[in-house]
Amino acid sequence: MNLRRTTTVAALAVLALYGGLILSLGWFLDASVLRSAVQSERTFFSVRLSLLAATVAASLALLLAIPAAYALSRYRFRGRELVDTLLEFPIIVSPAALGAMLLIFFNNPLGEWLQDHLLRFVFAFAGIVLAQFLTILGVSVRLLKTSFDEVPGELETVARTLGATPRHAFFTIALPLVRRGLIAAFILAWAKALGEFGATIMVAGTMALRTETLPVAIFMRLASADIEGTVALILVLVSIGLAALYATRRLLGRA
Amino acid sequence: MLELESLTVAAGDFRLRDVNLRVSPGECHAVLGPSGSGKSTLLDAVLGVRAPERGRIRLDGEDLLALPIERRGLGYVPQRLALFPHLTVRDNLAYSARARGIRPAEFRLPVERLVEATGLGALLDRWPDTLSGGERQRVGLVRALASQPRLVLLDEPFTALNESLRRELWWLLRELREQRGLTVLLVTHDLTEAYFLADRISILLDGRVVQQGDKESVYGRPAAPEVAHFLGVETLQLGRIIAAKDGLVMVEVGRAQLTALAPNGATEHVLVSIRGEDVTLLRDGAAETSSARNRLAARVVAVRPGSPLLCVELDAGFPLFAFITRPACEDLELRPGERVTACIKAPAVHLIPQSAPRGTVGPSR
Repeated sequence: MNLRRTTTVAALAVLALYGGLILSLGWFLDASVLRSAVQSERTFFSVRLSLLAATVAASLALLLAIPAAYALSRYRFRGRELVDTLLEFPIIVSPAALGAMLLIFFNNPLGEWLQDHLLRFVFAFAGIVLAQFLTILGVSVRLLKTSFDEVPGELETVARTLGATPRHAFFTIALPLVRRGLIAAFILAWAKALGEFGATIMVAGTMALRTETLPVAIFMRLASADIEGTVALILVLVSIGLAALYATRRLLGRA
Repeated sequence: MLELESLTVAAGDFRLRDVNLRVSPGECHAVLGPSGSGKSTLLDAVLGVRAPERGRIRLDGEDLLALPIERRGLGYVPQRLALFPHLTVRDNLAYSARARGIRPAEFRLPVERLVEATGLGALLDRWPDTLSGGERQRVGLVRALASQPRLVLLDEPFTALNESLRRELWWLLRELREQRGLTVLLVTHDLTEAYFLADRISILLDGRVVQQGDKESVYGRPAAPEVAHFLGVETLQLGRIIAAKDGLVMVEVGRAQLTALAPNGATEHVLVSIRGEDVTLLRDGAAETSSARNRLAARVVAVRPGSPLLCVELDAGFPLFAFITRPACEDLELRPGERVTACIKAPAVHLIPQSAPRGTVGPSR
């Protein structure tokens, strides 16, 4: 087999694996269960909660990741290596451990004080957002740093000789030039947040109509041995996720 | 006027040491050196990208080191131009006005003149990646000039272009310089470029300025052997001064003797440096037409192909190299073994003082 054929087969294998997995849901698909699941108040709440939390978490993560990634890409400062090393930390410890750490933190005096005087995180919407935010922050910074690395610093130097302050050069040169990377990072962060389970369930629990995101809802259905209900919710999550990814891809393709 | 005083700049393990340099208003000064000699480090310091360890940089009397990049009044054209890829040519050119908050109306006229002079008018709505090499170069240049800089910094500006385009842009730059009285600091490894564009040249070798002066003197009278090597002087031979009289000296080189202008400082041992274009060849027995003091009987060793000039390797009692045009070479019927007379005027025999003889210095080509 030549290289073209081998690699194409590999690419199609990816499709077969994921596509097959989705199609295999059909075995347990029950139309009436799907209909009632989609129409139920509880599912609707989970969908809304998941979309809202993922969007807020991804936006907040990017808001912090953009300046952080720029600093890592452009400046040498004390602690830079440490930051760089910690970016993969959430992936390595697993979301569940990350969520557990958060829960433990909110039980120490500082955490308790924060909860009492600032914002309640445990078993609350803010907890979902925080858990997702921490899960995706590192990888967002990593992606954006790569994007900023690809913009030659010389462009900003020239911009500054032309009278731009560092801030102006950042907003008119560096930021517009990482636009594609920015969109890609947002999509990935958002998708990862939408499917986030481990950290979310640790911090926010599984309270129906309060902290039950779609992945948590799927877990709850399966835990109660409701296979048809699980399949229905998985299909809802898959449809929303893929539709959103497809839409942004189209948007990106045109940009 | 740009003044660098005892400028020392560290860049990793490399160090630019104790550079003194002065560029008068309206002058073009070329810093000429091979890659790794510290040219970019020097430029970085003037730009403000790299802070020097010691020394001063002043522009029109103002201390540049106290100013951020954007207030130094520089126009910078980097080697790879750094056109903003997400902006049209028009927006690239207008960047400095926008960055400084100048209203478009006040800005338009000076830039329009530049655009007209450089023929960029038809390209204003194009994107940088659709431009040809020469067009990109013009945009880079005009963009830098549009900010009305006090000093223009050029980093190997035209090395990526083909020969005819390079020459065209050299002329353009010269015209712009004359019209606008630009003060230019040019950094290049290309001798031809430096010679064409600059009034004065500093030779930078291994982080130090080893020679500085007007371009003719640097080119024709290298001050040290390594400068002569870097400049590619064709004939470099050790010699010994055997007599001196009236500002002239007699130098023994190999089996031959040459008359030259007396070098600075009293030395016996010298490195004899002769440019290939300063050697005229006459057919043996030809009529006396040369007023040159040095007339050497020589034998053709080889004729090396070259462009635009051929290089004739001669044995004149020492290895001597002469440049000659193709028609002249045909007229003289130069072939290996033929006898010719090589004529060199005394001022063209440049002597570089040597502390002691150190073996033979081979020709650089």
